[in-house]
Amino acid sequence: MLALIAQRLAASVAAAALSALAVFLLVRAVPGDIVGQMLGQTGGDPTAELALRAFFGLDQPIHRQFLDWLGRTLTGDLGTSWYQGRAVTTMIWDAFRVTLELSALTLLISTLIGVPLGVWAGIRAGGPVDTAIQGFSMFGLSAPVFWIGLMLLVGAAAVFDWSPPFAYVGPEEDLPENLSIMILPVASLCLLQAAAYAQFVRGLMVNELRRDYIRTAQSKGLRPYAVYVVHALRNVLIPLSTFIGLILVQILGGVVVIESLFSLPGLGRLILSAIQGRDYPVVQGALLFVVLIAITINLVIDLLYGVFDPRLRT
Amino acid sequence: MDRFMTGRRATMLAGLAALALPRIGTAADDDMLYGPADPQARRGGRATIGSLVEPPALDPFRQAADARIRVSVLMYQGLFFEDDSGIARPLLATSAEAAPDGKSWTFRLRRGVKFHTGQTMTSADVKYSYDFMRDAKNGSPGAGDLSMVEAIEAPADDVVVFRLGRPNAALPMTLTNKYGAVVPKDFFADPNSGTRMNEISVGTGPFKLKQFRPNSVLVMERFADYWQPGLPHLDEVTFAVMPNSAAMAVALQSRRIDLAMFSRPQDTQALERVAGVEVKRWPSLNQKTVDLDCNYGPLKDVRVRQAIALALDKKAVMDASIAGYGKVIGTMVAGMQDAWGVPIADLPNQTVDLDRAKRLLAEAGHPDGFEIDLTTIIGYDWMDPAAVTIAEQIRRVGVRANIKRIELGVWIRNFRAREMGFTFNDWGTTPDPSLLFYRHFRAAPQGADFRNWNHARASELLDRGQEVSDPAQRKAIYVEFQKILADESPTIMMFSSDLLTVNTARLRNYTQHGTGWYFGLAKAWIAA
Repeated sequence: MLALIAQRLAASVAAAALSALAVFLLVRAVPGDIVGQMLGQTGGDPTAELALRAFFGLDQPIHRQFLDWLGRTLTGDLGTSWYQGRAVTTMIWDAFRVTLELSALTLLISTLIGVPLGVWAGIRAGGPVDTAIQGFSMFGLSAPVFWIGLMLLVGAAAVFDWSPPFAYVGPEEDLPENLSIMILPVASLCLLQAAAYAQFVRGLMVNELRRDYIRTAQSKGLRPYAVYVVHALRNVLIPLSTFIGLILVQILGGVVVIESLFSLPGLGRLILSAIQGRDYPVVQGALLFVVLIAITINLVIDLLYGVFDPRLRT
Repeated sequence: MDRFMTGRRATMLAGLAALALPRIGTAADDDMLYGPADPQARRGGRATIGSLVEPPALDPFRQAADARIRVSVLMYQGLFFEDDSGIARPLLATSAEAAPDGKSWTFRLRRGVKFHTGQTMTSADVKYSYDFMRDAKNGSPGAGDLSMVEAIEAPADDVVVFRLGRPNAALPMTLTNKYGAVVPKDFFADPNSGTRMNEISVGTGPFKLKQFRPNSVLVMERFADYWQPGLPHLDEVTFAVMPNSAAMAVALQSRRIDLAMFSRPQDTQALERVAGVEVKRWPSLNQKTVDLDCNYGPLKDVRVRQAIALALDKKAVMDASIAGYGKVIGTMVAGMQDAWGVPIADLPNQTVDLDRAKRLLAEAGHPDGFEIDLTTIIGYDWMDPAAVTIAEQIRRVGVRANIKRIELGVWIRNFRAREMGFTFNDWGTTPDPSLLFYRHFRAAPQGADFRNWNHARASELLDRGQEVSDPAQRKAIYVEFQKILADESPTIMMFSSDLLTVNTARLRNYTQHGTGWYFGLAKAWIAA
């Protein structure tokens, strides 16, 4: 097991190093830089351009810029944003907290809604309840998240004469205000995810309920609760746990769109605006952070496989 | 609307008359700053403005982005206000006087003006601020506009004198609010001053910065010590970034925002029928152009550029891209046409003439036409339908355009490197012909000459237009310049699009400035 951990860790470090180089080069491969953005359609005297280039260190050879950045990154210093002047690590953390809250709430609520709906539809397969739940799934899976968000905004204003506040406030600052900001974005994302859950769990349940052991349990005269929840659902939970990983990835994808729509200052918007402004320290830091999260998740999954599958340990 | 337009024209003419005098405007104009006053206006209330763009940072000295200028004009002020009638009205100055040789300007300053920091403004602050801006080493995009300034003196607390290497009639209009502002002396001694401006504002404007949360909101609050009595009316203004026009329309309907500016009339059509919101059109100081890099492939030949101009039906392009909500132009933005423009009929290459275009192409060695890339900028919605229309139009004379969409940052790089090729452009101006033309068309090194035109006579005229202060003489100079510009076609100015604003009924007395900047919020108010 130790050998496995060492091997996976080494691979992760190599992947992180390669990613750092790729991120650095990719960011600079996009034509245009911050100096052009700052000066816009002005020109003539090149003094301003040269002065700004020197100020941002863009006059240095590229390998020098990379080594400087790498050296500081290894000590945990991702630099400061060229536009905001704030530490990149602080900016990433601030943005990540928003994204994390949005994703976690969505994951929690959509699991709590989607899984019972799927189980119920599976038990009542072919009946009107199943048809209704499948209809809900179909709608949730086909409606674009962006459109759902817009409709919820219109609906909330028309029915309750209410709109969420614009300025984001963290849950620790003011929980009710935070929840009033989060409710519509989470609801928009939940619809899709709950629909995906319901669809997936229904399929698993239908399959499971056809198995022999269920028929045996039923013929033994077990109560329906024991059959469905104790026996069938327990077996459904194993494939479901891998599905949650997929859902999480899907949520993180949808979060970028929803962050834009509801003006939430999350990680997706941070990266997007930094790319548009050519704020290299922020783009590099934030992309590296995302890469490290992905590597960590993969590492944990790899190690968990090791726990579940003894053959991998040798 | 018509009455409004007529009023503006009258003001514009009055403005021109004033320019003939050595003094420009007086403090008696104060009521006209930032738009008309509303006697019914009441103090209080908060307004939320939806915007598709967000300023990358708020430093008025070192950020050229239009998204920055739009909002920073509410917090920072220059010596003059760029009234869209074409006159520079005294803002932090109270009067301006040019020496007979035009080589020095004396500005008297308003007394008792307070910075957001609480300090009182003096001539030392004014000298410091403009000295900082004109020193190119400080990286201000406005430095080039002040290159003729040799020294700034502060002989008394309320007097500054600008000494120039050569006369510049456009100096008051240059000292307006696009780049730079008056800030407290020594503010930039702190190396982090630029980014500090994202946390606090240090200007003299009607609003001061409360909170700037990038990717979310920008909040400004009423500056209690503002020098114009009774202004501003609003207690707070919030700018919220929105992902697209549809989201802004929904936000207006749901009264989540009070005001939004739209670039395409199609997006406001549905809102015209909604109760409780008002859609308004305003003349603009922007222009939509096709730029032709005179160093790029077949465009090097003036006959090819003329042929392209002769194949273009500007009205059809405007109808396709902005549903006709604008004005076809010759060589001058619509808002300045009456004061400085040449009637379109008097300019060459303005009407479609396919036979002549084909002849010119044949003479230039392209009897069968040629292929060329035509670039549009991603996010500038009007450019795509315009590009398709233009591609169809020039195909009639054999020019086959491949439309390429590029990202704004890439486009700016190409533009600044003078490698623009054949591209669309969208630019605005403060209302003076020198500020409109000089940087773009004066040969290097004085100008940037982005289109590699390098035209000796045009450059000479642009120099003279800056030096001469008599309005009639200036007009004659710019008329000749515009005829050359239309004839040589390094750019084809197509149309000025109207600015479209939509506001909820509770937001009153908002006047949209022709630049697209939010000056009007200084006099807007919220009805209970």
